[in-house]
Amino acid sequence: MKDYPGKILEINLSTGSISSRAVEIDLIEKYLGGIGFNARILYDEIPAGTEPLSEENVLVFAAGTLVGTPFPTASRTEASAKSPLTSQFGTSNSGAFFGIQLKTAGYDALVVKGKSLTPVYVAISDEEVQILDAAFLWGKECWATVDILEKKHYGAEIALIGPAGENLVRFASIENGRYDGWGRTGLGAVMGSKNLKAIAVKGTRGRKVHDSAALLEAVRKGQQLIKSASSYIAFTEYGTLNASIPYGKNKAISAHNFTLGTLPDWKEIGGRQIVDKYGSRHVACQSCIIACGHWTEIKEGKYAGLKIKDLEITPVMSFGATVGLNTEAIIKASEICQRYGVDMVSAGGVLGFAIELYKKGIITTEEVGFELDFGDDEAAFKLLHQVIDREGIGDILAEGTKRAAEQFANADRYAIHIKGMEIPMIDPRGRWSTWSLGMLTNIRGGDHLRCRNPVENLRFNDKDEEYMKERFGFKKPMYDRLDMPEDLKSQAIDLESDTVDIAVMSKWAEDLINLYNSVGICIRPPVMEKVGPTIIAEACRAFIGVDISAADLMKSSERTWNLIKLFNLREGEKVDASKFPRRFYEEDIDGNILNEEKIQAVLEKYYLVRGWDGRTGKPDSNTLVRLNLVDDLG
Amino acid sequence: MKRIVINTEACDGCGICQLVCSAYKAGQWHPALSRIKIKPLQEFGLNLPVVCMHCTYPPCEIFCVMNLIYKEPDTAYTLRHEEICIGCRACEIACPFSAAVWDPINEVVVNCDLCGGNPECVNYCPTGALVFMDISEAADKKRREAAGVQILELSRGFLE
Repeated sequence: MKDYPGKILEINLSTGSISSRAVEIDLIEKYLGGIGFNARILYDEIPAGTEPLSEENVLVFAAGTLVGTPFPTASRTEASAKSPLTSQFGTSNSGAFFGIQLKTAGYDALVVKGKSLTPVYVAISDEEVQILDAAFLWGKECWATVDILEKKHYGAEIALIGPAGENLVRFASIENGRYDGWGRTGLGAVMGSKNLKAIAVKGTRGRKVHDSAALLEAVRKGQQLIKSASSYIAFTEYGTLNASIPYGKNKAISAHNFTLGTLPDWKEIGGRQIVDKYGSRHVACQSCIIACGHWTEIKEGKYAGLKIKDLEITPVMSFGATVGLNTEAIIKASEICQRYGVDMVSAGGVLGFAIELYKKGIITTEEVGFELDFGDDEAAFKLLHQVIDREGIGDILAEGTKRAAEQFANADRYAIHIKGMEIPMIDPRGRWSTWSLGMLTNIRGGDHLRCRNPVENLRFNDKDEEYMKERFGFKKPMYDRLDMPEDLKSQAIDLESDTVDIAVMSKWAEDLINLYNSVGICIRPPVMEKVGPTIIAEACRAFIGVDISAADLMKSSERTWNLIKLFNLREGEKVDASKFPRRFYEEDIDGNILNEEKIQAVLEKYYLVRGWDGRTGKPDSNTLVRLNLVDDLG
Repeated sequence: MKRIVINTEACDGCGICQLVCSAYKAGQWHPALSRIKIKPLQEFGLNLPVVCMHCTYPPCEIFCVMNLIYKEPDTAYTLRHEEICIGCRACEIACPFSAAVWDPINEVVVNCDLCGGNPECVNYCPTGALVFMDISEAADKKRREAAGVQILELSRGFLE
């Protein structure tokens, strides 16, 4: 296709100017879409050392390449800006229906610059883009705002912030409609700092496709692949909650701010059977054939009548394990996070941190205003509301655990974060895998979503003394079906010793997930297990009409990853920041403890696999030449 | 008489049917161009697919000022001569299901034509919410299910 129909919409809130430009085919070939566009735009447009909550920060939403097609799970949009929480590349991915509306309004990406003097919201309906007054919405919680905007802009999908974003809570989320959101890295505070309450987008045009028949064929193949995944049925039934009991058994959950490893009644609190108890119908994002979400309702008790979408592992771990709440309180906590716009993982992390400080006597009842304890839901919610409103001690905690820990004496030890971002759910002391290394190498800080072994077998937990390997645990057919170049596959997986090389697999997994985030598909295990670059390339070729191979896709994904790394280095990322919190090296849970030097060795091996300097973790010039990024070295 | 039978319980709102329909029928990809629509009813936790029911006595046929809507004699599908549609949208108002769809490209109203007997939305539906089956069979199935539930209730009462 000579003229790619997508455009990039740019809104400057300082000047009120609105412009759009065509997406050049070169940009698509190099960066695909989604996170690739974001990386390119942010690297070019944010000057080094920009204060994240200032006018100069740029917020980008980019829908993945395949969003707007029925390719299974193609629904996802990546939002990025310089993060107020980590002061590095801040990025988050969300599904639901925002992406398809943005795409069908004619835009692949939406760039928001500048800062409005008064609260505003942006309404997009095809070419008609308006910056409208939002004084009547400011201060309203998310669900009420969505109700109002849905009536004003029929059929629009809405990205918005809640009071937390308005109050510049550093881990505020951008909510995607009522129940989804771009949670991590505090993008809501960026939107709040721009005085931008919401973006309502509606598209009425169709997207023309290069070759419809070939795309539908790829869709059918993709659906069959996902349906044949070993975890497909389990995921359609219980979604991500499948993982909660295995992690509990391995003493690898974040129980009581990473002090216990597991909880005695974990099965009742967070096991997947809570879906049977509270969940009802499945609910899917655009084009998804897994539908891991559930409508959830509490029928009786303190929180009777509460209805939300989702019963997911993230809130279950961060509120159930880290804060120690029971299942009904977890659902209530998710509701608070969704209505007031905070990241569930960071919120849980901050609450767990505060409760531990309280129990250790570092903060007192006078400072908090009430007593705190693990498992006390009312106190936890009171504190969470203080954080959202930045009242009392909440004002300090709203800065995130890393900054808050600097305000209290000897609190550093209890702040569980990597590069400033709170670690989610899994405790690498209990189970060491590709996933755990991925938390260190993640381009957005302490997070679990950018690296995962596509064929992880949770049944096994073999501890490797050297931290170099994890158990593969599947038979040969699984190995054969894995869509990965043969030479790389034999390096990453050794069938004879039944092991996976963590460093090699990490690079592949990160590039694969980055590819998913570029083309806009989901990282649920059934997808990761089966959907590789080959089928994605087939769909991309049919959609864009550019001759692009699986290897090209992986290369452009690697290019994006390296570009983000360059962004982070430009913003002053230190090599010794890639470390777990001290607690993981110094306090053991049932004898499980991490060895700092050995992990450093794995990390160095990973750097070499990536073609980076083994000692400093900086991309080598050879690597940058190979990825055509050499001009960006600066 | 085969028709699209909707199983609301099974619909999770993924919207694949809408995109596939728009691709086949409009040559472009957009839910708004689709002849099947999913109405999310979030307060009930439901998604309701809406599609032409091919009524036996279609109100749209009566309301159409151009008299372009007709019943196909063999299959009893409700079809229309789109080329003479003036876009007055009277049929849209008349339709009790809101299943007549405004086509913004050609500026006419269209409805589901069941793809001539092989509806593609049904072929791609991943959950079985859309089924293409004989309506008398579907009614029979529903009756049996309802009867089954009632018998279960009765026997439970009897046992207690």
